[in-house]
Amino acid sequence: MKKYFIFLVLVVLLGVVLNSFLNSYIQAIFISFMINAVMALSLNFITGLADQFSLGHAGLMAIGAYTSAVLNKEFFNDQWIMIPVGVLCGGFLAAVAGYLLSLPSFRLKGDYIAIVTLGLAEIVRILLLNWKHVGGPRGYNAITKFPDFFLSYGFAVLLLFITFMTMYRLKISWFGRNLWAINEDDIAAEVMGLEIAKTKRYAFTISSFFAGLGGGFYSHHLGYISPGSFGFIISVQILIIAVLGGLGSLSGSILAAAILTFLPELLRSVQTGSLDLRMIIYPILLILMMILRPQGLFGRKEIYEFLSEKWKTKLGIQL
Amino acid sequence: MQEFLQHTLNGLSIGSIYALLALGYTMVYGILGMINFAHSEIYMMGAFGAFYTARFLGLDTPSVLNFAIGLCGAVLFAAAVGFLVEKFAYKPLRNSPKMNVLITAIGVSILFQFGGQIIFGADPKAFPTLIEDQNLFSLFDSPIHLTDLLIYFVSFASLGILSFIIFKTQTGRAMRAVSTRPDMTPLMGINNNKIISMTFVIGSALAGVAAVLVSIKYPKIDPMMGVRIGMASFVAAVFGGIGSLHGAVVGGFLLGLGETYLIGYGASTYKDAFSFVILIIVLLYKPTGLFGTTRREKI
Repeated sequence: MKKYFIFLVLVVLLGVVLNSFLNSYIQAIFISFMINAVMALSLNFITGLADQFSLGHAGLMAIGAYTSAVLNKEFFNDQWIMIPVGVLCGGFLAAVAGYLLSLPSFRLKGDYIAIVTLGLAEIVRILLLNWKHVGGPRGYNAITKFPDFFLSYGFAVLLLFITFMTMYRLKISWFGRNLWAINEDDIAAEVMGLEIAKTKRYAFTISSFFAGLGGGFYSHHLGYISPGSFGFIISVQILIIAVLGGLGSLSGSILAAAILTFLPELLRSVQTGSLDLRMIIYPILLILMMILRPQGLFGRKEIYEFLSEKWKTKLGIQL
Repeated sequence: MQEFLQHTLNGLSIGSIYALLALGYTMVYGILGMINFAHSEIYMMGAFGAFYTARFLGLDTPSVLNFAIGLCGAVLFAAAVGFLVEKFAYKPLRNSPKMNVLITAIGVSILFQFGGQIIFGADPKAFPTLIEDQNLFSLFDSPIHLTDLLIYFVSFASLGILSFIIFKTQTGRAMRAVSTRPDMTPLMGINNNKIISMTFVIGSALAGVAAVLVSIKYPKIDPMMGVRIGMASFVAAVFGGIGSLHGAVVGGFLLGLGETYLIGYGASTYKDAFSFVILIIVLLYKPTGLFGTTRREKI
């Protein structure tokens, strides 16, 4: 209990510092860091633990974002208090979409899921482009926001905390071990009596749910979304975060999300003209990492596993 | 009737392009078991290869010779790019998990897209008229364009050359051998790495051909031009049964025709979603595709 209390105090302190001493630009970066972390965790769950490559997380994010935004505007009369409900609904709808998608895709072995998820993202984007009621290609704007930064920050932290804890508990539970077994050797796992397709389906549905939550909050954070904000590049960006942190390492994803959110902002001053250097640096980073350190920063391990025994006991972590 | 014929002709020409590209995907998948996401960017590089060949050699008068030179430029350039990509990005990962190769392929693809925007410029470029388009004759009142005929002719010629290479030469035999039992082929004196490089070169050359054919019909090229067509061709490869050469050709034509009819009779804004809907339906009802075979796994 003590460590959660310390965590809470630290979070509140950080919030107070952000709220009173720093400008809204830095505040916004902090929130987008947490959204990126949620998205990366969601992808890591399916790609890192279950070894199923998803390229469509932007599509799931879009489902969550549009659901939450439209619900809030059309049915909840722009009340900020209803934002969590909208975000939750976005998560559920994304989970439904993910489940439906996983029905055909896990009948086969191999990389089909990558293409099918990519297809989902494209189909969602095209449907949104053609859906005139939500603005089509012009986008959907004036989405309800939280009235002040502190609420927004609190909700983001809560979202990240819930996502992380759920995934972490799942990772160390029997379900996580099932995924692990499939990841290691699916034939052996099947022989042991695991239903591979079903397990992967559950994992994908859970992952979709959290992607929807991340997307839902994203819409309320920015206040404006358009089909263009959920392109293929976004899926790739999420993938890069998960790969950099280490596929299978949840805390690694959070750290990598921090690095890859703050670093480009620092580099913004070096950027020249219209050239987006990030999109050159990202793929080079990705290729080099696959060749030189394919396991990412932390591999499958969580960050605390690198601490010494003394610190582990101090922090009250037991495996 | 006339309208239907026109759509069919257009569908066949886009279908033959899909078939050429789908062959590249299916060959690489057959031999390495990976989806080569960078294939659509090799196609894009082929178009730029022809563009710069035409510019440096000053090919500004439309003629058959200039078209042939442009085509050669594109094929050589695309093949070179394919060879280099294989050598520097995929070869170091030959023995690592599939996931890593896939991630690398995506990295290469994005690097080319955005690197291309820096080197070539992000705005679309006008492709030089290598050959003058004209109506040759009319069939049931619908005009037959020279470019369409050229597309049919060149793509069928390339398919012929490819099937000759694959089924009649020693290299082709080696390729088929590597795709069935890569662990046995070195014992038979086949250099796997060489054959894999060869596969990439041939697939990329076909992508180069496709790039020129598309560019003479729609003379506008930009660094992102490969994204949509690449995805559609991949779906064509899966539709036909990935790993199967005949399947890729048939899948390409069917997808091209289907897409053109869809655009012709209404829902043109949903065109990009069409191929993915087809993909999901295929995976639901016939996951191995039209010509695919399931290989039993022995433990």
